[in-house]
Amino acid sequence: MWRDAALVAGKDLRIEGRSRVALSQVAPFGIVALVLFAFALGPDRQTMAKGAPGLFWVAVLFCTVLAIQRSVSVESSDGASDGLRLSGIDPAGLYLGKAVAVAAQLVVLEALLGVGVVLLYGAHIEVPWMIVVSCVLGTIGLAATGTLYGALSSGLRVRETLLPFLLLPIAAPVLLAGTRIWQAAMAGGTPSDGTQWLRLLVVFDAVYLAIGVVLFGPIQETA
Amino acid sequence: MRYVIAGYVFVLGLLALYAVALVWRRIRLTRAVARVTGPDVTAASRSGVATIDGPGAAVTAPAEHP
Amino acid sequence: MTDELTTIPVDGSATAHPLPLAATNIRVSPPPTPSATARRTERTIGLLALVGTAATVWLGLWVTPPDKVQGDLVRLVYIHPGVAWVALYLAFGLAAVSSLLYLWPRTRALFWDRLAAAAVEVGVVFNICTLVSGSIWGKPTWGVWWAWDARLTSTAVLLVLFLGYLALRRVPAEPEVRARRSAFVALFAAVDIPIIHFSVDWWNTLHQGATVLNANLSPTIHGSMAWTLLLGFVALTLVFVWMLLVRYRIGALEDWLAANELDLALVERQAEGVGVGASGVVAAPPGPSDDSPTDRVGVA
Repeated sequence: MWRDAALVAGKDLRIEGRSRVALSQVAPFGIVALVLFAFALGPDRQTMAKGAPGLFWVAVLFCTVLAIQRSVSVESSDGASDGLRLSGIDPAGLYLGKAVAVAAQLVVLEALLGVGVVLLYGAHIEVPWMIVVSCVLGTIGLAATGTLYGALSSGLRVRETLLPFLLLPIAAPVLLAGTRIWQAAMAGGTPSDGTQWLRLLVVFDAVYLAIGVVLFGPIQETA
Repeated sequence: MRYVIAGYVFVLGLLALYAVALVWRRIRLTRAVARVTGPDVTAASRSGVATIDGPGAAVTAPAEHP
Repeated sequence: MTDELTTIPVDGSATAHPLPLAATNIRVSPPPTPSATARRTERTIGLLALVGTAATVWLGLWVTPPDKVQGDLVRLVYIHPGVAWVALYLAFGLAAVSSLLYLWPRTRALFWDRLAAAAVEVGVVFNICTLVSGSIWGKPTWGVWWAWDARLTSTAVLLVLFLGYLALRRVPAEPEVRARRSAFVALFAAVDIPIIHFSVDWWNTLHQGATVLNANLSPTIHGSMAWTLLLGFVALTLVFVWMLLVRYRIGALEDWLAANELDLALVERQAEGVGVGASGVVAAPPGPSDDSPTDRVGVA
């Protein structure tokens, strides 16, 4: 399973490396979102700094939707998904591979957005390790659920509108937890504020990764 | 008190509307089915799938397709 | 082949009376017509639901006294928890369990899928009732139309998830594929709701200092009020059950019509093709082509 995962992840990342869609389209979209949020919240830096954690994660969520769409559409041309299934790749490995690829892209995007948020909104971060850990855990959760829902909606022509609708409510806990952790990190308060949410993220990730690994095979057959 | 009335009106009204909609949908569908299977519904079952228990037994709810 | 010949009315309009299925060489499984007992049960439940609801309204609005603390607002308590229990536990639980049963190979049957879909759709209606009645109750009680406490938020998220489920079901697909997809979505939603509830609960207590926006009723409810509350629960549950039965029936009929769409269209075609007036008796009409579905029992 792990070898298959590595194969698939490598393939997806190589495709990304060559086409650079995430870099050239999704990342700028994230930046645009940040700018729009700034317009929405007004010039008061206090407000923006306060809203920074939430806005960061909302921007990340939007980018996740785009990244998942991309991850799914990569398979939909030329019967690639059938080819994948026929190749005998372990579905769990396929799932993990795709999730890892999406996660990798997301991490890069988050780094970019994180820098953007700090610069644009003037957010001061007291406890940086919490940010890093929360981003990693949050990314895992988003990639896990996203890949799952991407598979469910792959092959549907209404995927573009349906996927965000299905995915975002499920991803809401990541938003909640991530925002709280950022706020704790910014406030520099006792780490215990944030660690509870980190634990929630861990549980969330574990649950959906487990679901994905077990059910991805059957889900694929619905496509 | 007007809040209470508003609440009751909304909830009961919505439930009533939905109930009516359901009944209407079912009527429409049964008519559509009847139109195709002919005036006597059992006519379809007589010439339809033969079952061990006889033609009438096939026409029961729910229709399951194992 | 047909084993009975049927006369068709010679009234000059072939399409007005399409050939009954029986007279054609097309075979489909019989449509899901309810048995007499099923019909009777449904009617009884419907009647009981109606009577129960009417009784609840009468008791709730007139007979019972206003509460010491909440005044007349307590009357909403006779229906709000009722619809809430149906939407959040009965409908949702049923949908989740049915979906699970569908996915489980041993118990897989389209029955469960249809039941889940019916439960979700009726659940959406009750969910909206819950949110609105809760909001209406909240305004005079807490002063706000909405509060982001765990219960309300989870209810709202559940509504969105339900709507997503219904949206997914609208996508045209083979019944089994659609059933599987919907079942997975329901499953994931079932996993997500507790997580959301938990998260929002934390979210609130940690950062707004326990703002106890308690959606619970005043604990001291007794006498005629308690009975009316109980009646409300029972009546609304019966309403749900009745709606579920009807909605299930609708789903079964729709599925049958959709599954046999092609065959039924052929029937209509043949009705036009055979023509009226040649004789009053129709023998086996010519099939449209050699690969007409004569041997197919048109079941999905």
